Amino acid sequence: MSEVRRRRFVVTRFDPDRDAEPRTQSYDVPCQPDWKVLDALNYIKDELDPSLSHRWSCRMAVCGSCGMNVDGKPTLTCKQALDSYGDEVEVEPLSNFPVIRDLVVELEGFLEKLQQVKPWILRAKELAVEAGPAKQKPEELEVFRNFSYCINCMLCYAACPVVANEPAFLGPAAIALGHRYNVDSRDEGARERNQVFRGEGNVFACSYANECSEVCPKHVDPAAAINQAKFNAVIDWMAGLVLPRGGR
Amino acid sequence: MARVADPHAMAPAKAGPTRTAPPRMPPEFPLQGRYRAYTLFDATGAVYLLLGLLALRLVWALGSGDAAWRSAMESLGNPLYLLFHALAFASVLFVGVRFFRLFPKAQPPKIGPLRPPPQPVIHALLYAAWLAVSALMIAILAGGIFG
Repeated sequence: MSEVRRRRFVVTRFDPDRDAEPRTQSYDVPCQPDWKVLDALNYIKDELDPSLSHRWSCRMAVCGSCGMNVDGKPTLTCKQALDSYGDEVEVEPLSNFPVIRDLVVELEGFLEKLQQVKPWILRAKELAVEAGPAKQKPEELEVFRNFSYCINCMLCYAACPVVANEPAFLGPAAIALGHRYNVDSRDEGARERNQVFRGEGNVFACSYANECSEVCPKHVDPAAAINQAKFNAVIDWMAGLVLPRGGR
Repeated sequence: MARVADPHAMAPAKAGPTRTAPPRMPPEFPLQGRYRAYTLFDATGAVYLLLGLLALRLVWALGSGDAAWRSAMESLGNPLYLLFHALAFASVLFVGVRFFRLFPKAQPPKIGPLRPPPQPVIHALLYAAWLAVSALMIAILAGGIFG
């Protein structure tokens, strides 16, 4: 049976009422061999320092709440085993987001961007209920299935160098989710979303660092979605120029 | 602690009631860990800018007469120029390999009724096209075509 291993956790702390800027605080944690990073943070909260603030919920990599930078890399802490880390583990809030407190970041900016891309099925005319379910072939599902696995954990935003410098950029998850509906055979809102993709937070700001895809815990591959969205946005723009009535 | 990012990065349009700490850049950006290749990729732009300036200089020399052209050609034998061209060649190889690695997944799932071929086929086609164009350029420069 494996032994308990003591690790030092260097955790970023920030109290908006007291701290001028974030600082770090260290905790020695006896880690069980089967622990994830989140287990250690919960141990700190429960046993060492109840003032520590961090987000978590499902503990099974579905809710996307517990994203943090662990040893500099955006990580879903409920999924990442501790055995891949050394004796000292650095835990910080996600990069590129304002920090509300300790490891908790402000997500309102993301929700505003997400709403811009209308991540739901848009139809010119709603199908009547009597018409039954909108059917889809397996190959039509395959086109967007990967992109629909996004859990909004924000790791992709924390890894993106463009998000850090271009505040208007829609960012990986929002574009991936918009593109997911653009290529859904049941959707008719691609033109509307493509206008958003070409607008202020446009998809062309992406310089294809590919880091969003590298850190994605659900293998959504947002970098692929963004670059496919670029192509479709250009085709849509050209169709608007050359086809009668803008190709409508 | 990492450098501060743009203060408006991922900030809501209207600030919330709580004071927040400013967003910070990814800790390893731009020169450490997995960002190194990306930064190098972007930095090769400087090499291409210098190559463009060199091409302009050669065109200028060509228009300035035989002596100026010969002098420009001789100056290209300078070790510094040779080193620069070696760097430019390495840059092209690096950019080509990275671009080809990322290119297939950026293809749209469908263009009209057509679907792109599988990724390994796209990779093979890209490298085949690269080799073919390189061979063509070598043949032209060696005088095999238009010689």
